[in-house]
Parts: sequence; C-alpha cells; structure tokens
Amino acid sequence: MMDLNTVKERAGPREFSPADDLPREYREAATRMIEFHANSEIMGAYLERPFIRQSPSIDRKLAFSAKVQDEIGHGQLLYRAAESLGVKTREEMLDDLANGDGKFLNCFHYPLKSWVEVPMISFFVDGAAMRRQATLRRTSWEPYAHAMDKVCFEEGFHVKHGEDILKELMTGSRKEQQMTQDAFEEWWPRIIQFFGPTDDKSTHHDFAAAVGLKQQSNDDLRNAFLDQYIPKARKYGLEIPDEPRIRERDDGTYAVEEDDLDWDEFFTIAKNEYEPGLGQINGRKQAQEAVDWVRETIEADAPTAGGHEPQAAD
Amino acid sequence: MATPDFSDPEELSARERQALECLIKRLADDEFVLAERYTEWQVRAPTLESDLALANNAQDELGHARLWYDVLGDLGYTERELVYEREPAEFRHSTLVELPFEEGDWADAVLRSYLYDVAEELRLEALEDSSSPTIANRVAKIQQEEGYHREHAQNWLERLAEGESGSGEGHERLQAVLDRLFPHALTIFESCAPPRGANDANDASGDEPRAAGSDVEADIVDFGLRTATLEELGEEWLAIVVPYLESLGLDVPESGQTGDGEFEFEVTQEMLPPERGRDGTHTDAWVDLYDDFTHTYRELGRSEPTKIMDTPE
Repeated sequence: MMDLNTVKERAGPREFSPADDLPREYREAATRMIEFHANSEIMGAYLERPFIRQSPSIDRKLAFSAKVQDEIGHGQLLYRAAESLGVKTREEMLDDLANGDGKFLNCFHYPLKSWVEVPMISFFVDGAAMRRQATLRRTSWEPYAHAMDKVCFEEGFHVKHGEDILKELMTGSRKEQQMTQDAFEEWWPRIIQFFGPTDDKSTHHDFAAAVGLKQQSNDDLRNAFLDQYIPKARKYGLEIPDEPRIRERDDGTYAVEEDDLDWDEFFTIAKNEYEPGLGQINGRKQAQEAVDWVRETIEADAPTAGGHEPQAAD
Repeated sequence: MATPDFSDPEELSARERQALECLIKRLADDEFVLAERYTEWQVRAPTLESDLALANNAQDELGHARLWYDVLGDLGYTERELVYEREPAEFRHSTLVELPFEEGDWADAVLRSYLYDVAEELRLEALEDSSSPTIANRVAKIQQEEGYHREHAQNWLERLAEGESGSGEGHERLQAVLDRLFPHALTIFESCAPPRGANDANDASGDEPRAAGSDVEADIVDFGLRTATLEELGEEWLAIVVPYLESLGLDVPESGQTGDGEFEFEVTQEMLPPERGRDGTHTDAWVDLYDDFTHTYRELGRSEPTKIMDTPE
C-alpha cells in the first residue's frame, strides 16, 4: 500500500485511480468530499423540483425539468466516483443522506418558497459551484476529476439559464424587481457562506489540500466569486446588501467581513440540525422509503444478487 | 366530400377550424398534463436511473405538447391563452393523465404510461396521413420517442408483475392500479364537447351530451384530419392492452370484449368515471394541479397588463 508521504509527494492533478492501493486516510477523505458533493446534487434537485411545475412558461418548465434531471445525473456520476474508493456503497450513502447523517451544502438546507428565489440557486449558487468545480477538474482522484468534466459542462448551461431567469425578473414589472431584490437580500449571506468557513476555521482543509484533493482554499474561492458576481448582480440592478460588509481593495477586488456572517447558523446547518433543512432531509427520506418496495422487488428478482445495480429496466 | 385544404389556417371555415382545435387540444393537453404528473417522480423515483428515465419521458411529453400548442398558435392563440390563462374546465385532456400519484406508487407510473402510450401510438398512426400538413409533419418526430416510452413501461410492468415475489407486492399493486386507472383510460376515446356555449341545450339529458360532440368527431374524420374514428382507435387499443395485461396475470375490468375474443368499443356510462376530461369535466385533483402550475404566473402578476404609469394620486 502506498504510504501517506508518497501520496503527498505524488499528489498532482488526476494522479490516483482505482488501480492505486491508497491508504485509508486518503480514501476516507476523498469519500467524504465526493459524498458531500453528490449529496448536494441530490438535495439541490430536491429543493428545486417543485419549480418545474411552478415555472411560468413551457420553455422554462422544460429547461427546469432538464436541470433537475442533470443534477440527479451528477449525483449518479459522483456516487460512482465515490464508490470507486471502496469505502462506502451508493446505497449506504443514500441511506445516510436519508437518515440525516449525510452532509450537504448549506444553501440546500433553506426552503425555496417562490420563483423569484430560483435564480438565487440557479445563478448565484450554481455560479459559485462552477468556480469550485472548475478547480476540482485538477483534483488528485481521477474518477472525481473525470466526473467534473461532464458536471462543469452541464453546469455552464444551468448558470446561463439562471442568469436568464434573473434578467427576466429584473426587467419585469416593478413588483417582480422588488420581490427579486428581497430574495437576494435574504440569500446573499448564505451564498457567500457557500464556500464554507474561513481557512483558519476549516477542519478538513489542510489534509485535503496536502493530498491534492482540494485545489484552492475557501478564502481564495470566495474572493474570486465576489470579484466575478458582485459586478454581475449590479449589472442586473440588484443592490448589494450593507451586511455583510464587503471591502473593495485598491485593485478593485472584493473581500467580505467574515464576522458579519452568521457562523452559528452555518455550523448548526453543517450538523444537519437546522429546522428547515431537517424538513427537507426527512421529506426526501419519506420519498425514498415510499419506493423501498420497488427496489426490494427488483433486487429479489435480479440474477446477480448483490454487487451491481440492476440496469435493464432503468 | 372533398378533403379540405388545411395548409392555410387563414382559409379555414368555422367548422374546419373547430374540428382542428378539438383534435389538437386533446393531443396537446394530454401531453402537457401527463408531463406535469411525470415530473412528480423527479427526485422521487425508485433509483437514480429510473429517475433519469422518467424525467426524459416528462420532457418528451412537454416537447410534444409544445409542438401541438404551436399548431394552435397558427390559429392565432398564444401560450398564455392556451396554458396559463385558460380556465381549468376548458382543458380537454383525458382524466387518466390528471390523476395524482399516491406517494411511492411506481406501479401507477408505469401502468399509466403503458395505457397511455399504446393509445398514443395508435392515435399518431391515424394522424400520419392527416389532411393537415402541419399535423402530419409533427407525427414522425413524436412517434420515435413514444416508441421508447412504451418499451420502458412494458419492461417495468413485466418486472413488477413477474418478480420472484410474483404473487407478491408488485402484482397486487398493479392490480389495484389497473382497477383504478382502467375506467379513466377509456376516457381517452371519449369525444370532446363542442366549444363553449354550443352544447348548453344538451346538458340536462342522459344520452344527449355526447351527440353534439359527435358532429365535431365526424368532421375530424370526414375532413381527413384523422384517418380513424375514436371507436376504431378504442377497439385497436383494447385488442392490444387486454391480452397483454392478462398475460401479466392481471384481471382487466369490464372492457367490451365479446364472446368470440373480438373487441367492440361500446363503452357504457357504467364503465366510465363520472368525469370524462374530454368534455371539460375533471376531477378535483386537476384543479389543484392547475392552481399549482399557474401559481408563479399569478404570483408575479404576469396576467395583468403592464401599467404605463402609476395611478395618479
């Protein structure tokens, strides 16, 4: 088995694959990271699903259904990349997610109540995700990097679609513009917290960076996001809220005053203890349990018991 | 009678236009509402793989709905008028597609898809040589996708019906769903009532309501818009679905099968649900669904004309 020092020495982009005999620490850290990512795809899809129906036109409805479908497809890809580390099966990860043990992005713990909130996810949060995912194409676990190629490609369309929804709302009636501004003010701090705690508060960062799983620090990603998205928000007529305070540096880039953000709430969410998020976890659990009988039926029937998921009738 | 020319919507007589609208609204509304129901399975299907597959079906049906609504667009209707501002009672879809799914009832999802997709295939075949070139042109594209839907549904039906637990849960659930859905599936072949106001006189009597609609039905075939009658389609449908469902070990409710194994589509009032869909009568579930999919449109006030200036003080 490769020892940890060798892993750290070799930790370049797409360096490791299932052919490598990697130490448990690496495989567990990579599993935790990819599982989090996969869970987030599923919970993001769960959150957005009602807006397929509530889309205000057929074109939007089609695009939104396709988007939710893409997220499920990303989840599928990512669980496969995580499974290939040999630590947990997809079923175990989905069960953990249902039982409240699986972790996922802070933004997907909040309820999504109205169409005007949709671009907060599909433009800002997806845009933030794009930034992080782009760096993960150079992660050291090759199956993860490979999944990111497809995910980044599709995510690009989602962000464009989200941007188009935002633009439509912000050029719509005065009422639409006001509702969208209100939603933005509510979501803005959460969006900034998407990138997680500051580097000095992040528990997993050092190891993940040392073994090449993580390519950029939370702080760098957050600041790069602000540089890109503050001008975009302003372009569509959104006003940046006063809190959290955002500092413009001499070179025109931005940095956030981190103490203005609610980190108690963030860490409550991170423990899956935030009420609305719990409701969403349990809602998905209920949906998963309601179709247990189907999985049991096809599993009892599958010629190869155990091992691979039945594919024929998917 | 000479087949009318449907290539120029501007030139249609009132009767021709009525026949075209009646035919297309059924097609479009069926696809649109079924897609709405299918999307309920997104992020809720039994496996990630089946989740992706059902999302595909939903998007296919939505795409078809859009193609059919576009035909009505040629007659001057907008999407707003056809979808977001049409009164729920003006929709003409079959009640089969509007029924809600009970949570986790995957047997319903696949059986409903099967019952619908067989009917859809037959209906599209009867439109291949439509006298309306816009209709005929759309058929081929749609047929390709529907064929896949039916295969997918049958594949699942067979797994659920046969499973090792053969006499078990899958079979039981399918039978319960079949009993519930079958009468609603028969409404696919019901005639549409004529447009608003035209059949008011018929509302009171028992056998009359379908007569006024029948004139439009006769026109649809006489004008060559569709090359088979609803009865013919219904008989073909029974001849396919009844033996198939029986081969899965399911008991098919009263279906109009005659002693010699032939099918006659003689649907009686008793065989149909109280709401027929085609004539604008719908179940309560439809109103809830309608309220939900028009929610954002109303919330944003998109139906209100844009005000040029605020009301002066």
